[in-house]
Amino acid sequence: MEVTENVLEIRNLVKDFPGVRAVNNVSFDIKRNTVHCLVGENGAGKSTLIKILTGAYNRTSGTTLLNGEAYNPHNPREAREKGISTLFQELNVVDQLTVEENLTLGMEDTTFGFLRKTDKINKMISVMNSIEPSVRPWQRVSTLSVAQKQIVEIAKAAATESNIIIMDEPTAAISEREIERLFTIIQRLREQNVTVIYISHRLDEIFEIGDYVTVMRDGKHIDTKPLSEVKDRAELIKMMIGKTVFEQYTPKEETAQEVVLQVRNLSNHKLKDISFDVRAGEIVGFYGLVGAGKTEIARAIYGADRYEGEILFNGKKLQPAPDKAIAAGIALVPEERRSQGLFTILTIRSNVPVMNLEKISRHGFINSAAERNITAEYIDKLRIVTDSAEKEASKLSGGNQQKVVLAKCLFADADLLMLDEPTRGVDVGAKSEIYSIIRQLSYEGKSIMIFSSELPEIMNLCDTIYLLFDGSLKATIPNGDDVDSEQIIHIVTGGE
Amino acid sequence: MGIIKQVSRKPSFGDHMSNESFITLLMIGVLFVLFSIAAIFVPNFYQPQNMLNLITNNWFIVIIGIGVTFLLITGNFDLSVGGVIALTGVLAVYFSQTANASQNELANGLGLPYGVAVVLALLGAMSIGALNAFFVVRLKVPSIIVTLGTMMFARGIAQVITQGAQRNTSLPSEFGLVGNLALPGTSIKLSVLIMLILLVIAFIFERRTAAGRRTYLIGANADAARLSGVKVGRHLTVLFIISALLAGITGILLASEFKAGVSSRALGYEFDALVVTLLGGVSIMGGFGSVLGMLVGALILSVVTSAATGLLLSPDWQFTLKAIAVFIAIMAQGFALSRRKS
Amino acid sequence: MNPTVLSENVNVKHVQETSLPLRQNWPTVVKRTVKEYYIYFVLAFVVVVFSVAKLDEVALFERGHFLSPDNIINLLRSAVPILTLSGAFTLLMISGYIDLSIGSAMSLSAVVFALMVLSGFGFLFALIVTLIVGIGMGILNGYLVMKLRITPVIATLVTLSLYKGIALLIVPDGLSAIKGNAEHPMPAWINNYARQDVLLGLPLAFYVAVLAIVALIMVQKKTILGKYAAAIGGNPTAAALSGINAVLIVWLLYIIVGFFAALAGVARASFMSLGDPLSGDGMELAVIIAVLLGGTAFSGGEGSVAKSVVGAMIIISVTVGMLTVIPAYWQTFAMGSVLLIAAALNHYLQEELKT
Repeated sequence: MEVTENVLEIRNLVKDFPGVRAVNNVSFDIKRNTVHCLVGENGAGKSTLIKILTGAYNRTSGTTLLNGEAYNPHNPREAREKGISTLFQELNVVDQLTVEENLTLGMEDTTFGFLRKTDKINKMISVMNSIEPSVRPWQRVSTLSVAQKQIVEIAKAAATESNIIIMDEPTAAISEREIERLFTIIQRLREQNVTVIYISHRLDEIFEIGDYVTVMRDGKHIDTKPLSEVKDRAELIKMMIGKTVFEQYTPKEETAQEVVLQVRNLSNHKLKDISFDVRAGEIVGFYGLVGAGKTEIARAIYGADRYEGEILFNGKKLQPAPDKAIAAGIALVPEERRSQGLFTILTIRSNVPVMNLEKISRHGFINSAAERNITAEYIDKLRIVTDSAEKEASKLSGGNQQKVVLAKCLFADADLLMLDEPTRGVDVGAKSEIYSIIRQLSYEGKSIMIFSSELPEIMNLCDTIYLLFDGSLKATIPNGDDVDSEQIIHIVTGGE
Repeated sequence: MGIIKQVSRKPSFGDHMSNESFITLLMIGVLFVLFSIAAIFVPNFYQPQNMLNLITNNWFIVIIGIGVTFLLITGNFDLSVGGVIALTGVLAVYFSQTANASQNELANGLGLPYGVAVVLALLGAMSIGALNAFFVVRLKVPSIIVTLGTMMFARGIAQVITQGAQRNTSLPSEFGLVGNLALPGTSIKLSVLIMLILLVIAFIFERRTAAGRRTYLIGANADAARLSGVKVGRHLTVLFIISALLAGITGILLASEFKAGVSSRALGYEFDALVVTLLGGVSIMGGFGSVLGMLVGALILSVVTSAATGLLLSPDWQFTLKAIAVFIAIMAQGFALSRRKS
Repeated sequence: MNPTVLSENVNVKHVQETSLPLRQNWPTVVKRTVKEYYIYFVLAFVVVVFSVAKLDEVALFERGHFLSPDNIINLLRSAVPILTLSGAFTLLMISGYIDLSIGSAMSLSAVVFALMVLSGFGFLFALIVTLIVGIGMGILNGYLVMKLRITPVIATLVTLSLYKGIALLIVPDGLSAIKGNAEHPMPAWINNYARQDVLLGLPLAFYVAVLAIVALIMVQKKTILGKYAAAIGGNPTAAALSGINAVLIVWLLYIIVGFFAALAGVARASFMSLGDPLSGDGMELAVIIAVLLGGTAFSGGEGSVAKSVVGAMIIISVTVGMLTVIPAYWQTFAMGSVLLIAAALNHYLQEELKT
């Protein structure tokens, strides 16, 4: 086979979702035996691009050439067979099996079904041990750390002669020492003729490990260049943010409102000693990377996760249970809409009142007329696009589903509304509608907490911005004209 | 605010019907077809008395079917109902048998007044429900395993109390009353009336109450239900206890009807209860089904078994017929729903 | 790339994970040991209890004592069906699936086998036909669960009813089982398989069951099937990504369970000299208890054929031993209680001792 300079060539790749073009005519090359980093903000199209390469999504149009040949996998297995392995954030190892069994899973040599110990196994083990000697082949994977499990997966990919290994945020859940080790492994892989596509939000890592970097923004390819030609983080951040004109944030008239929520020394498995206040009518934003602890703060306040520390709402200590939080006047729009927010097999009418069934009931009996009325009211008020209130929630578009979840929370008559990634997977039109609803609520005196990994969203809406990194509160910034978005990115990507 | 009006297409028939109603209607259609076929082939099938029997004969399955339906909607099984029926009946008899009546151990009870005996027996039933809930909610053991265990546990207690047989002597005369009482001027038993009342209550619970709605929420998405403020564990506990209570009521009525506490009473009823809920379109995937559907399922089962008897098929046919009916029902419902969605 | 550009940014703060999983503290080691070996202690405990129970009446190892040769032989003979079945059932549970129809499948097999023998066919032919029937039942279960995607519990509850129904239909009206009568007697040799002393007072059926256990332990530990079952039960996504065809594997496991259910049915028919359509009733419960005692996870991925066999021995010891101490009508209560205790214990071992 002729060895091409580029191991992967992406040409005019397009991926459309209903209402959104997630990947917009992207073309770039990935050179053989390099570490190619992919950066961009959330929603920039990185993960969609990766999912096309791994066969999880089908492209709308465009071509990809692997080693000069057309490459269009239909599922991750096919991608793996063609030489592209992926280290997903959700690790694909079987905890109950041993390291050796995991390495050979799906590639066993057998005689009449009996497993045979062949040179292949020894080779795989030696590949693994060359990467990481401390992992023993007879160990059960459940006894390994996240980093060690990653190593098992990497070893499997390396031993199966993968041309390309895609690593999706591999450092999100591992320690500093383990990261150093991972980088050594990546260097070694490159020497062994493997190309690594490396996705991370942590820009320092990009500089440390990368040869090339591709920046994406709003589904478009911005630039691909050698990292040696990138001056510093600031230049990279500029490319990522671009000249995005933030929708103008309008500061509120300063009236000292009373404090509604007091969080003191909040800590748990993810969070480290977090304290802050939220005032009535205030919109506060929590910004940080994936895994920075945003969702965990929301869930702790809501009583869905355990925590240490003290949370006072309207001066009273909150009992840690969702039903208690709702009764006290707090509502949460969860991060995972379909699995945590919505009852997809039920109708819109059945979804809207669930957080406050008492309001439409007397003595435990639901008033159907009231139920229909309030559903109609919210469909109208939030402009939920549907032909009937009796439509199953699963049949709505992402934006409309999110509006149903929002309606649920609004109907709970909460004084404090927490929104976790409120516009993820929502089209542009619905997005701006959701923003105007949030502003309206704040004018009405409700307190809003927004947890988002989209900076424009935070800059656009919030009066106060909290920056999170690795479960700690790194900075508090009052929003205004002088807020420096580059400085913000610098902080949440781990800069001092 | 400028409202973007969607161009709405003209609603066609059934568009606004829920999937539950759709399946219930479908099964009513099946019931009608099956009944017609049976009426053609089986002599005297359409006689009023026979038709009445179709509705009244399975009253005990319908009563326990109510509890089983609600639990199935939340995604849980209750296979303990048959055992609970036997246990409650035996307990009621044992409690109300005269104390020290004779040498025969099985004739000696506790000599409690009938009312007290019934209440205590029902408490016994409910404690089995509480046991189910404890294992499912607190220990997170799958309901299928737990209720298989309590099925034997409950029946086992009944067998121990009756020494593996039954207790039927030295009972007060009022013991046989409720189970044999007929409505004035008819042959319809009080038990059937109780079934109807419980059905109406269950129907209202399902359609009209907040608690009924929460049952569906838990089945549709337990995580989302918890985050929406539903006390999932407490709700399931109450449902398990209600299911056991309904089985207990059935047990009291059957014990009264036969004036005996029989340890082998209601063998396999848990399976019949499951069969009628499945025939009625209740889905173990959760969040889907209705009491009305279960009733239709019970009627279908009635028609099938009664037609089989009418055609002089041996009673041995019942297991096979039930199995085939459930398979066809599951496949047909799945097919109909997928066609409706597309 | 130019390393000097990086120098000022290298001091990145990352999660400081201190827990190194390889370093174990003592309590963990103790917990692991308990988890690993507790079932042998339970078996020993049960044996000791029944050995001591009636020492005032019967001397140790004397006739009538729990540990007398007679009783042990009796115990092992009645253990044949559950021993035959529990291994295959464990493999299926490890893959995250369940088969509640095994009791009925066993009954139907017993009926078929007895019918064949009564009809004048030889042992080998009757055996082969019965095993084919068992395989057929496994194919049907697998088809309903893996192809039609009916929930395993529902699908196999329904086939439970179906197989039992067919068994009842095969038995002629007015009879409770397939059995011989005066003019048409059941051949006496039907007994040989499950009763005739082959070695150490035990019949061939027992040694076949032992062979089945050994074979299934080998399957779990040494073959691709055992490994794939664990992979499918442990992490279905990873299994699929590795190219494992879960439909095929689990279907095969259902067929294996059907095969051994038929083998157990043959043993039961031979033991009773008749084909009783209800003889397998409750077998699914006994097997589930055995498997739960053996520590197989509800959710799949984890389990051991060998330990299920020990669990099966516990069940049989309890049922047989109890008969020497308390009346038979305590049996159901005892089984129900043991199932609940086993479930609680299993939960405790899976959840609390996870680390």
